[in-house]
Amino acid sequence: MAAPVPWACCAVLAATAVVYAQRHSPQEVPHVQYERLGSDVTLPCGTANWDAAVTWRVNGTDLAPDLLNGSQLVLHGLELGHSGLYACFHRDSWHLRHQVLLHVGLPPREPVLSCRSNTYPKGFYCSWHLPTPTYIPNTFNVTVLHGSKIMVCEKDPALKNRCHIRYMHLFSTIKYKVSISVSNALGHNATAITFDEFTIVKPDPPENVVARPVPSNPRRLEVTWQTPSTWPDPESFPLKFFLRYRPLILDQWQHVELSDGTTHTITDAYAGKEYIIQVAA
Amino acid sequence: MSHTEKKKKNPKPSEKNLRVGLADGIIKASPEPRLALPLRQPPGEEPRPAGPAPSPMDLRAGDSWGLLACLCTVLWHLPAVPALNRTGDPGPGPSIQKTYDLTRYLEHQLRSLAGTYLNYLGPPFNEPDFNPPRLGAETLPRATVNLDVWRSLNDKLRLTQNYEAYSHLLCYLRGLNRQAATAELRRSLAHFCTSLQGLLGSIAGVMAALGYPLPQPLPGTEPTWAPGPAHSDFLQKMDDFWLLKELQTWLWRSAKDFNRLKKKMQPPAAAVTLPLEAHGF
Repeated sequence: MAAPVPWACCAVLAATAVVYAQRHSPQEVPHVQYERLGSDVTLPCGTANWDAAVTWRVNGTDLAPDLLNGSQLVLHGLELGHSGLYACFHRDSWHLRHQVLLHVGLPPREPVLSCRSNTYPKGFYCSWHLPTPTYIPNTFNVTVLHGSKIMVCEKDPALKNRCHIRYMHLFSTIKYKVSISVSNALGHNATAITFDEFTIVKPDPPENVVARPVPSNPRRLEVTWQTPSTWPDPESFPLKFFLRYRPLILDQWQHVELSDGTTHTITDAYAGKEYIIQVAA
Repeated sequence: MSHTEKKKKNPKPSEKNLRVGLADGIIKASPEPRLALPLRQPPGEEPRPAGPAPSPMDLRAGDSWGLLACLCTVLWHLPAVPALNRTGDPGPGPSIQKTYDLTRYLEHQLRSLAGTYLNYLGPPFNEPDFNPPRLGAETLPRATVNLDVWRSLNDKLRLTQNYEAYSHLLCYLRGLNRQAATAELRRSLAHFCTSLQGLLGSIAGVMAALGYPLPQPLPGTEPTWAPGPAHSDFLQKMDDFWLLKELQTWLWRSAKDFNRLKKKMQPPAAAVTLPLEAHGF
């Protein structure tokens, strides 16, 4: 006696599910659509007839009927604010007919690409960005050529617009060519740069720049710093430093060039004045 | 000992001394590493043959690398003779520093020379993105080297490679000088050749101070005069392009080579300033 009861429950549940599915629109997942900023777009209400009676909503808010062309929603001069979830409902039954997730954006402009070696001679990295935003997702593809050889550019673990290349050979006369292509749903673009190995060498700034007064002499300042920690081999590839300083009240800098060492004593400071001191590697 | 210098921008202090006019056809090699400035030759020292004068021979027929290489044999022997006369050195340290300084000076000088020469060759050679495949110019000494191999070079090999490279490059450069069209170009090239000869002498001095023999060409490999295949004008220009490129790259590399040597030669007291941690490098 107990058996037919649960069986009946299942049947009822199944039937309800079928009816539910039939009554609701077949799409659970909204249709994703990308449109260009400033353009006009017409959104049809799925497979509904042109003269069907429907209501449109965006993000849950009703839209005025004067935007409709029959059952289709017409949007002129798309702005970023037009992005959202558009849904059309059967006017009387509020049955959901169709959903569109609209993204308003732009095709990509030519990307800006630059490469730099702050870890010479280990390798170099390239980073890129778009000069103006597209407001929609973009994918980038980077290729590195050394002569005819393709080199691997490993994605940076932290920064999404950067990748790293290891030098295989040093002192090469053959240029490197780095190309990047960017694409999104509305278009694509690309650029490339070519350079010699030595032209992109640029170390990170020196670290831990500290200025200490010299006890016996109020006109002296002892400035010390460290080689940037990213520079792998300062012995074979020594760094030169430029130091400049001025009292805050003056505009004129004093420059010092240091081909060796990580310390310098300023001897012509004005006692009692606040100084700004900068060191470049 | 402080290397601090207050200066605006570069010229190295030794630069002034090297700007001496060149008497046509006379090559001077500096035997004294302490001077290492090729043009302050003490007057009593001339038992050298005046043979390798760049101009008088008319070698236009079938200009080729092999043809010019015959001059190399004479140049090989030039620095060897005086180097044997030296006595009582303070050690190789100061001469390594001078050699390093010379490479930096030459690098600087080459920048303007190459710019002028490439403009003379015309497009595409003077275009910044010009990136041809490396074909031909096989006899040019190549600076490129595997990173680990370069790091593990012993001092003798390091010096030898530099010496041999510049000997060859100088020879080819003199060939270039013969073909150069304008008097101004010939002057600049001649000046550069002289400086390069000075660098060779300086390297020879360092090698002698360290007790390394100067590389002599093996009897079997001495190139003999032979008219090569006639180069097209374009191919000749390509060869010139690669010559300048290799020169540039070798000078970039040599600075690093000599810096490595300099650090190795430093007396133990100064070792305190060398970071001895391994950078995993």
